[in-house]
Amino acid sequence: MTPDMELALAARAENIAIVRHVLGGLGEAYEVPEEKLSDIRLAVTEACANVVVHAYPDGQEGQMEVVTTMEDETVTVLVRDWGCGIRPRPDSPGLGLGLSLIAALAESVQLGQGEEEHTEVQMVFSLKDPATRDAVSSATGQGA
Amino acid sequence: MSETTSDSPVAGATLGGAEEREPGFGDCSVSARVRTGPLVGPVLRRMVSIALARADWPLDRLDDALLVCDALSAHAPRHAQARRLSLSVKADGREAELRVGELGHAGAAALLREATLPVVGNVLEGIAEDVRSVREPGGGSTLALVLKTWSEPGPALSPTEALD
Repeated sequence: MTPDMELALAARAENIAIVRHVLGGLGEAYEVPEEKLSDIRLAVTEACANVVVHAYPDGQEGQMEVVTTMEDETVTVLVRDWGCGIRPRPDSPGLGLGLSLIAALAESVQLGQGEEEHTEVQMVFSLKDPATRDAVSSATGQGA
Repeated sequence: MSETTSDSPVAGATLGGAEEREPGFGDCSVSARVRTGPLVGPVLRRMVSIALARADWPLDRLDDALLVCDALSAHAPRHAQARRLSLSVKADGREAELRVGELGHAGAAALLREATLPVVGNVLEGIAEDVRSVREPGGGSTLALVLKTWSEPGPALSPTEALD
């Protein structure tokens, strides 16, 4: 599946605003409800903030990529970096809520290592109305 | 328009993790690869608007840059080599470079040609200080435009020339 958009930026705090702004283009181009777009932006902001804070320690310069794919009323967003990977960090300067927040906002979240030695967080967001989604899930016997 | 051969992908943000930087250029650089379709215009406009706003560009030149984005996003998808376009912007307080790549062999030249309006002339050449078609190694082309916050002063006119 060809991604709709692959955005590449230096992994810096100030560039997270660019990601948020460019993601707003989804709402312009497709019928993404404003409320869902806000959830997507917030989750992606958290994932990008994790890259900025944790992926490249000791002031290293690094890269982050945000890859977005729209298919069947589902938006999949991958946030990638080429840093040190996801690992426990007792001295973390953050509150440690980022991944929990992402999990609460997205339908599913996967963390992993990619083929190019990159770390990626994959978030899937459904654009279907929750009531419709639940009805379909119960009709097909699948969990939400 | 001049034509050159590609030797420098946009610095600071390249897809695939590799990072290249040019000394002396501002840090506001962003690149994207977008599937041709409704997302091209919104993404290009948003990339350019935030990059130039951050570089503290005056509003009139920001408006000009967005006109360029409209012209590019209206015509570029037709010339995409493989239903994708690479878009990049890098800007500092004085100038900005926009690149639209992954165009077909003659795509950049055709894209420039199509930005001509009756009476007005060529929108891209009218607004940008420099427009170049860059030949890519794989046979494709990239259209590169440089905009400046204000134009360089032209050659000084003698008093008689100025009166003419």
